Formats: sequence, structure tokens, C-alpha cells
Amino acid sequence: MTLPPPVMSTGSRPRRFWTRALPVLVKHLTRTTPWVALIAGCASGTLVLAVMAYFAGHTPLNQDTVRFTFLPAVAALAYVPHVHFRPLVQAMPVPTWIVSAGQTLLAVPVLAATCWVQLRLVTSTVPAGSAGSLPAVYPLLAQLTGWSLLAVAIAACCERTRYAALSGAIATTAGFALIATASYTDAIKRHLLTPPATPHAATTTWYAIAVSALALACLAIRDSWHRYARRLHL
Amino acid sequence: MTPRPARARATLRLAQIEAALLTRSILVLAGLVVSGILVWFSTYRGQPLWWNDAWVIGYGQTVISLTVLIAAQLATARVRRDGLAELYKSFPSSVGRRTLAHLIGVLGAALGCLVLIGAATSVFELRDAVGTPDLTVLTGGVVLVLAGGAIGVAIGTRFPHPLAGVLGAFVWFIPFSQSNRFNSAIVWLFPWVKPPQLSQLPGPLSGYPPALAHTVELAAIAALAGTVALAISADARRPRVALLGGAAAALAAIVVACAVQLQPIPTRDLDHLVGEAANTGSAQHCATPAATPASVRYCLYPGFGSRLSSLQGPVNAVLAQIPDQRTRTLTISQTSGLTLDDPTLTHGHSPQQVTAWTTQLANAPANLPSSSAIYVNLGTWPAQGQANVRFDLALATADWAVGLPTNVGARTSLQSNRCMPLEQARDAIAIWLTSQATHAKLTLLRNTTRSVSGYMPVQVDGVTVLAWVYPGQDATVVTLGTQTTAAGYLLATAMATLPTQRVAAVLAAGWDTWTSGLATGTQLAAALGITMPAVPTGLVGPGGRTITPQPGTVPSQPQCPT
Repeated sequence: MTLPPPVMSTGSRPRRFWTRALPVLVKHLTRTTPWVALIAGCASGTLVLAVMAYFAGHTPLNQDTVRFTFLPAVAALAYVPHVHFRPLVQAMPVPTWIVSAGQTLLAVPVLAATCWVQLRLVTSTVPAGSAGSLPAVYPLLAQLTGWSLLAVAIAACCERTRYAALSGAIATTAGFALIATASYTDAIKRHLLTPPATPHAATTTWYAIAVSALALACLAIRDSWHRYARRLHL
Repeated sequence: MTPRPARARATLRLAQIEAALLTRSILVLAGLVVSGILVWFSTYRGQPLWWNDAWVIGYGQTVISLTVLIAAQLATARVRRDGLAELYKSFPSSVGRRTLAHLIGVLGAALGCLVLIGAATSVFELRDAVGTPDLTVLTGGVVLVLAGGAIGVAIGTRFPHPLAGVLGAFVWFIPFSQSNRFNSAIVWLFPWVKPPQLSQLPGPLSGYPPALAHTVELAAIAALAGTVALAISADARRPRVALLGGAAAALAAIVVACAVQLQPIPTRDLDHLVGEAANTGSAQHCATPAATPASVRYCLYPGFGSRLSSLQGPVNAVLAQIPDQRTRTLTISQTSGLTLDDPTLTHGHSPQQVTAWTTQLANAPANLPSSSAIYVNLGTWPAQGQANVRFDLALATADWAVGLPTNVGARTSLQSNRCMPLEQARDAIAIWLTSQATHAKLTLLRNTTRSVSGYMPVQVDGVTVLAWVYPGQDATVVTLGTQTTAAGYLLATAMATLPTQRVAAVLAAGWDTWTSGLATGTQLAAALGITMPAVPTGLVGPGGRTITPQPGTVPSQPQCPT
């Protein structure tokens, strides 16, 4: 007996497919994004920073504090690219990668807002007279971007393995280990931290890492999982 | 209904399994390794002092505490995370029993702590640690880990998402990482704090930090977390109320322990500490070994007697090369870098009392200028004697031998107080004696990067000259004495190329003349039959170009008196 061909997730799609699918997709992605984990991660670090800023007294906070309090947000981001019910999603007419990519894109504004709030909190502790002597913020932004994309890339890679259910936990641990290595190994940190690296050099290096991590994440989430054959002959 | 003994047996069996899983958890094992690395890097440079290093072991255990917290949360939340709560409800053991098993299973993490403590103790004892380990502090480190595990169970009982454990660990870690922001005794209430001044104490100081009360606080935190976890998972109202009563008792214990920790250190103990730190060099701690080529007194704090040989080595090697100096006495004394700016030490005492102690410390012998005493810092003196520190001590001894100042008198080590023996032959003699005593290759020490040694521009009487930064100068182990000059270094390097007996004979023939300060390096070179090396006028930068220092950036130093 020959069964009719199943719905394909690749290949030619009907005209105006994306126009019709996009609103539904956005709704689905918004619902399935782990907002609680993401907001809990971002809020916990920000809350801690707010408490520290309140008690800062005569010791102004600095960029190192932001590096520390942004870590929970990075940890939360590692749980975002996870695809629930992957076998089911694979049978859908849209590519599987759209879930991971869409959820990660939805998380970006939350992370950006977290970063902005945290930097504002740090600036609020600096006396008005010395605001001009603050270090440049763009190397820090590059570093936080690099951290976030590293976590996403590791999580996306884990999603392709048999440990997909633990991708967030593994990405958090591995991401933190990488961050610690980069922060405490002299040979690495002289290229990544200011000082000794110049702000321009550190920014370039971090964005290079971020782009590489993004490319790795894109490769990892690409839609090359098992497919049904065009025709099943049973 | 399952009989009570059977339920207890089942709980214990479950606890055994959970403890085994926790012990071999990759997170806990990784935490153990990182803890070991942290303890090693925090202690390997200096000599081990048990009253300091026991707290360092606990500091390393903070990493295990964090990883155990995450692992315990993952273990406790396993059932709900995997969506198996309904299945587990059909099992004979209730949720409360399983939570109790998880709490008992946290004891499995203590095994890793014991391994770390055992390994660290072995290493410290092999390196001849001073003092004895304080069991209360070591127990406190283990309780810290158990408290982390209990908190992880409490979080896992309520929040199954794996991120909850990470966030819990983050909040648990904040007091560790941010304690430096607080400048008061309140830091004792944080999970674990090692004050930097501990390594500067000549002996243990009761209540600094308050070990017993802190261990009780950590145990109460663990009890509170455990009772909260059991209360959350209790399936009946009565036990829940009883557990909340237990939680209230644990909370009360925390409050009492915190109040005890905030008590000031008794005045008598601080009096004794300041007296001991200020009286370095006093006769009660001093000994004069019999078989020495000169009259040398070694003044060590009680308990540091085993350090005598590491001090004697470089000193005797220098003294063996000079004519008899028994008419003069050299004092080698330990000194403490204790400061009373630390409110954790002096909180609760009147400002007048603190001022009196500060004055007492300021008048310590180590803070007075001297040409007959060398002071070595007890907190930074290396256990095995690093080459640069040996060089530093040998040079200070050689400075004493040739009559140069050995201590500028400010414990704050002000570079500007150090005199420069310009145009004095004894500068080169001191460097040559040091190189002979330590077998240092002087030609290899012309490193202009100053990572080990190198040249530094200095202004003396309005003229810019080059000083030679010797190995160990920046290590702040030996108190600062005379600043060596580039001219002295270059002449000593030339002297080192001559046969030792020839140089020694020339020096012995006119020792008093050469060390008077009136003889110049050119005269000494002529007596040795060599030409005085050309002294560079500036620093040589990359590409061989001469670097001219900006006006005002060159420090000014006095000339050594003849």
C-alpha cells in the first residue's frame, strides 16, 4: 500500500506562505519563549545591583559590578533557544530553526533593557564631578554581547545532542567556565580586558568572538534533522 | 500504612543513594577541583600560617558550596522537572520523606570537603606550617558546604527549573564577592570572609574572625533551609506547623549568632597583639646563634623558630665573605604589617584607644631609621625562600656590612626616603657580595622591563641619575634600605668577571677605606685593574632609542651620607 506523502518542512511552499504564517508564528513564539526564566535571570541581577547601588555609600560601583550582575541574565539566555517537542515541530511546515532563532530574537530586547538599566544604576552611584572620567562603555557592551552569544551558541550546540533536555544547564556551566577562563588567564585576558588591552582592541576581539559564536549558533540550529522521505513505501 | 521503622529505613536508603549521586556529581567534583586550585593559588607564595590558612581553606570551599547548591537543587527538583510527580505519588515514600532523604544526602558533599581539608593540611604540614589548625574553622568550612546544599534542596522543593539553582547560587555568592565593599564588622555575618590582615598577625587572635559563632550561624542557616524545605513538602498541616516552629528556632539561633559575632574583640587581646606587633626586635624574642662570622641577632615571633634557617642562609653567605665584624651587631627581625585602619579589628573601641594603639605601632622599631637592623615581613616571607627574596635579604646584609642604611624608617616603604650611594665604591661592593652569596648572574639582571630588575631614573640633588632596581625590591618582603645605583651595578658586574680571590684580597686590604663612603667606584676599579664601566645617561626603549623622562615625573631621593 502506498500512503500519501506527508507534509514537508522543506521544499517549495505555497505562495504567501510566510505572510500568513508569520502572525501565527509570532504568537506561538511569544507563548513558548521562557519569559519567567528570562525575566527572573535579568531581574535578579538587576535587583542585586540596585541593592548594591543603594548601599554603595562612598564607594561607587564600577563596570566590574555590571559584569558580575549580568551573569544571571546570560544564564537565563542559555535556556531560551530550547525547542520543546522537537519531533512535533519537525513535522510542521516551517523550519525548526525558526523556533530557536525567534525566541532568541525576542529575548534580545529584554537583555538590552537589562544592560541599560544596570549601566544607569552604576552611573547613579558615581559622583557628578567625576562622571567625565568614567571608562568607555563600548568595550563592556562588546563583552556582554560576546558572553550572551557564547551562551546561545553552546546551548544551540547542545540542542543537537542527546543531552538536548539539559542544554540550558550545560550552556550555563560551560559559559561560566569560559568566562572565568577568559577573566583569570593572563594569556587570554590581555586581549580581552581593559586594561591591559586597549578599549578598541578589546571591543574588536569581543565582537569577533560574538560573530563567531553567532555563526556557530546559526549552524547549530539549522534545519538538518531527520526528515520523512518524500514517499514512504510500506 | 507503612510501619514507622520501615519508613525510616527507606528514607535512609534513599538518602544513601542521593548522597552517592551528589558525591559523584560532575558539578560537585568540578567544584572540588576549582576549590583545590583556589586554595593552592591563595597560599603557595607565603609561608603557611594556620590561623590564616584555615580560613583560606574555607574560602576555597565556597566554590564547593555553590556547586553543591546547584546540584542539590537539580536533584530535588528532578521529579517535577521530568514531569513524574504523578508517578512518584504512587510510591510508598511521600514527598516529605524524599525531601528528608535529599537533606540527609547533602552530607555526601561533606566527603569532598574532607578530601580538600585533608589534602590542604598535608600540603601545609609538608611546607612546615606555623601554628595548629583550628578545628572550629575547619568545621565551619564543612558546614558552609552543607548550608549551600540545604538551600539547594529548599529551592528545588519549590522551584523545579534548573535556572532556580543557578540564581540561588548567584545570591549565595554575592556576599562572598562583595564583602570588600563593607568596611565594618558586619562582614562577619556574610557566609565566609577572610580578612586580609589575618596573614599579618604574629599568632591567632581570638574573635578575629569569630569562628565558633560563625559556624553556629552557618549551621542555623542550614537548619532553617532544611526546615523550610520539609515544611514546603509536608503533606499534613500538623507537621508543617511543627516545622515552622523549628524554622523560627533556627532563625532565633541565627540572630543570636550574629549578635555574638558583632561583639568587639576584648581590649586585653588587642593590647597584646599591638604590643607584640610594635615590639619587634625586643630582646624577649631574640636569639644569637653561636657559630656566626659576625654578631647577628635573629628576632622572631614565638612559633616562627623553624624559619631561622631560611633567614640564616643568605645572611651567613654574605658575612662569610667580609672581614671580622664582631664589634658591630646586626639585628634581623620579623615585623608585622598590621594596621589598625581595619574596623573589623577595632570596632567597639573608643577612638582614643585606637589612636593610642596606632601611635604605639608608629613608634615600633621597624618604623625608625636604622643602619643595624633588617626587618622581614612575617606575612609575605616565602616558605621555601624564593631567589629574589634571598637576593633582597642578602643585599640588605651586604648594605649593613659596608655601612649603608638598612631601613629607611617608614613601614609604608616610601621610595623617596631611600638614599642613593652615588659615586661610592661600597654600593658596588654590596652588590658584588650579594651576587657571590646568592650565586646570581648579574649580567642577566639588566632587564629594563623591571619585571625582575632594571634601571629607573631618579633625581639626586637636582641631577637625574639611573638607579638599579634589584631582584626582590618590589616584593616588599624586606623593609626598604638603600637604593642601588646603575653605576654600582655595572661596576659589580665587571668585578664578578674577575677571580673571586683577587677581588676579596683587594677589599680585605683596605676594607675600612672602601666602605667609608669616601672611596669612589673609579678608585675601586683602578685598584682592581679594570676600567670603570660607562654608565648610561637614560633609559633605552624599544628600537634602541633613549627615553627622556618628563620633568616632574622623576622621583627625588637623597644622597647617602658618607
